[in-house]
Amino acid sequence: MNKIWFRTILLLLFSAPCFSLPAGAQQYPVATRTLKNGMKILVQSDHSIPNVALYVFYRIGSRNERPGTTGLSHFFEHMMFNGAKKYGPGDLDKVMEANGGANNAYTNRDVTVYQDWFPRSALNLIFDIEADRIRDLNFDPKKIESERGVVASERRSRVDAENTGILNEQLWATAFLAHPYQWPVVGWMSDIEHWTIDDLKNHFAMGYSPSNATMVIVGDVSPEEVFALCEKYIASIPSHAPPPPVTTIEPEQMGERRIVVRKPAELPLLDVAYHVPKRSSPDFYTLNILRTVLFQGESSRLYSRLVDKDQIAFSVEDNMISGFDPGLEEISIQPKQGVDPQICEKELYEELQRVARELITDTELQKAKNIRLSEFYQQIRTINGRANTIGTYEVFFGDYTKLFDAANNYSAVTREDVQRVAKMYLSPNNRTVATLIPETPENQEKAKQ
Amino acid sequence: MKTQRNTLRLLALTLLTLLLSATVSAQTLKLPPHEKVVLKNGLTLLLMEKHGVPIISISAIVKAGAAADPAGQEGLASITAGLLRKGTRNRTAQQFSTDLDYIGATFSAGAQDDYTAVNAEFLAKDLARGLELFSDALLHPIFPKDETDKLLAQSLDEIKTAKDSPGSVIFEYYKGYLLPNHPYGRPEGGTEISLKKIQRESVLKFYETHYAPGNMILAVAGDFNAGEMRKKIEQDLAVWSARQVSPSTIPAPEPAKGRRLLLVNKVDATQTYFAIGNLGTAVTDPDRVTTRVVNLLFGGQFTSMLNEALRVESGLTYGAESFFDAHKMPGPFAIFSYTRNETTTKAIDLALQVLDKLHKEGVSTEKLASAKTYIKGQFPPEIETSTQLASLIARNEFYGLTDDEVNQLEAKLDAVTPEMVRQAIQKHFPGDDLVFVLVGKASEISPAVKKYAPKQDSLDITEPGFWPPPAKN
Repeated sequence: MNKIWFRTILLLLFSAPCFSLPAGAQQYPVATRTLKNGMKILVQSDHSIPNVALYVFYRIGSRNERPGTTGLSHFFEHMMFNGAKKYGPGDLDKVMEANGGANNAYTNRDVTVYQDWFPRSALNLIFDIEADRIRDLNFDPKKIESERGVVASERRSRVDAENTGILNEQLWATAFLAHPYQWPVVGWMSDIEHWTIDDLKNHFAMGYSPSNATMVIVGDVSPEEVFALCEKYIASIPSHAPPPPVTTIEPEQMGERRIVVRKPAELPLLDVAYHVPKRSSPDFYTLNILRTVLFQGESSRLYSRLVDKDQIAFSVEDNMISGFDPGLEEISIQPKQGVDPQICEKELYEELQRVARELITDTELQKAKNIRLSEFYQQIRTINGRANTIGTYEVFFGDYTKLFDAANNYSAVTREDVQRVAKMYLSPNNRTVATLIPETPENQEKAKQ
Repeated sequence: MKTQRNTLRLLALTLLTLLLSATVSAQTLKLPPHEKVVLKNGLTLLLMEKHGVPIISISAIVKAGAAADPAGQEGLASITAGLLRKGTRNRTAQQFSTDLDYIGATFSAGAQDDYTAVNAEFLAKDLARGLELFSDALLHPIFPKDETDKLLAQSLDEIKTAKDSPGSVIFEYYKGYLLPNHPYGRPEGGTEISLKKIQRESVLKFYETHYAPGNMILAVAGDFNAGEMRKKIEQDLAVWSARQVSPSTIPAPEPAKGRRLLLVNKVDATQTYFAIGNLGTAVTDPDRVTTRVVNLLFGGQFTSMLNEALRVESGLTYGAESFFDAHKMPGPFAIFSYTRNETTTKAIDLALQVLDKLHKEGVSTEKLASAKTYIKGQFPPEIETSTQLASLIARNEFYGLTDDEVNQLEAKLDAVTPEMVRQAIQKHFPGDDLVFVLVGKASEISPAVKKYAPKQDSLDITEPGFWPPPAKN
């Protein structure tokens, strides 16, 4: 229940596990080609269903934004569906659906990803649509205004109407002082209200060069036909400079930070976060094993203690979100009714200290590895899952073949490694704590006076 | 994200897709072969081999769900399901979780209106252990008192925390307000009041009454040999002796007459969430393919009439949709959306205009063709995994549907005519008789929404239960 922006897909990615890459991934090789404009294409044929998943990853997200225009990447994502030269406002969805296809997209701090799911009969059409909007996107002022309302509604439903959304947003804003990961992907409401058509045009010019994108196609296709379509529709789209590098490095945190959110609510909430390294860090796999031991499944240490044994919490969950730059390991605890969140906090810290002090057991280590293996199979069992996994490794680890190393990387993790990363990252000085305290409206009025 | 599948949407999609689901050969959809056996003890066993990924999926249906909860003890079927893994003859709750997690397996059990679903999934190499864990939970639960109390307390908190998100509870209010005197109107998870009336004894009784091999369907799909699997299951489950079970019956619900409106106050709301509709259809309704086509065009896809009007053209909301929550008997139909407080009546007026337009203008032949292609094109990925397939064949068996749901889907879609569409709209989509449920900030929206219905009810979201408000003693 953490980052809703990531919920559908990136939850899987960010814990991307994989082992001896059996069936699914290896039995279907990946063919690659880089077009002359710089866009890289990855194709995996799988004829088990007559469908295709096509994902385009653009290396642009909220980390490329500035104060005043936060949320622009996400808003832009919406505008990519609102009309280009050949397919005008509303046409994209109508034509795609009439041909049996569906689409969606997601934006996070690092990337904007466009997804098409369609029967193979629509393959040509999808390329025509994708090329049209990459080459000739249009901005209709009327559409900008109505889409602004849509995004504002999206923000209200994910933040205003979800306590987890409110608390999480403020947690990130507190944990990061300098780096652009500090603002919400959807943007602050006042920025949503003030983006201009020029902001959108600048964003397109900055982030949407073909050379800044990677396309992954998995399903009932052959690499040859896909490459031919890419040459026909995409290769001639001119490339330009990629977004300027994000040079800001978050300074090391030098002590615990705490914030409180007071609002009407049935139950309190507690979020605790620790800075963790970027995705491609060698510690990524060890951190995933550590997280699994602590939080995953009802036999995990934190669930066993807080929810099951001491019964002070209703749920304990974690999520590790890091990308091109160092991110956060977030722990979200829902205290039970009548329990002071500080009691949950105390028990959490005791467990984090224990895992830094004593080695985990061999059984725990093996269990964590088994869970990761199982999850891997879950990810690669559909054409959509594989398109997303292949793209994620290509974009965040620089090479999709790293997918095949992940196996060894997980099996190599030792109990000592787990203890080392626990000590290194889960320390009090590296911690940000956000607590939501339920308030009655009467109290809230008083507090304002 | 461009679009979000919220709770309601997921529910609707699940129901609609399950209604029609399958696998796929190049041109025509076809379910992979599967076999059905009735074991000596009465258990209906369905087996479907599906190789490629080394996963085995189990989907069991116990033919009693939330609709079988005794009045006043809403949530009993859910609690019973939730306790299956919380202590068995062979394992404590903790041991069960440890053994399950050690092989990276999953186990879940929950009550829906018509039935209880018990699902498990594990890697093919862990078949023996996975199956043993599954049958341990299903056959040998002992419902320890401390675990029962713990789960009841957690379920209470679950209701509270759900009430912090209007989108996750509006449908509980809606179905209660639409069907106040019918089991389908009750909350599957219970209420703050009803959970307090559930005790270990009632759980035991529910289990003994309904959990019996003759009252169960067990579907297994995935990477195994069907012959070996059948032997294995016969060994593991044959010890479960046959027992007489009287099937639960559910009366037919009545549609609402006239108009009524329930306003649920949430003091800090910045958006109003609304559900509007009346009684819909049953799972096995003869018009189900036509109704699915119409609903897709009305409120089921991105370019639906509702989403076009409320989102694409006016920017009033992030999403507007409609769905049938179909059961053994007809269940609710609803239009659902949300918009900021100030535009509440604008959005509701627009939704009503779209409903009116559906009745007056129907759908164009062009749109009809588009919907058929869309359903065909989007269907194969819904039957791609063993999880989806196990759940599909179990559910079809429960509702007495055949493989034709899948194998004849394309033919049935092709056969849908404009006349069938016209009749389905008239028969299954509500006209003037409507139930409205709004969750929002009453002080800002209450006067304006009076115009929708002569009968108005209201309560605060912090009050226990949903609708009707539960008796407190």
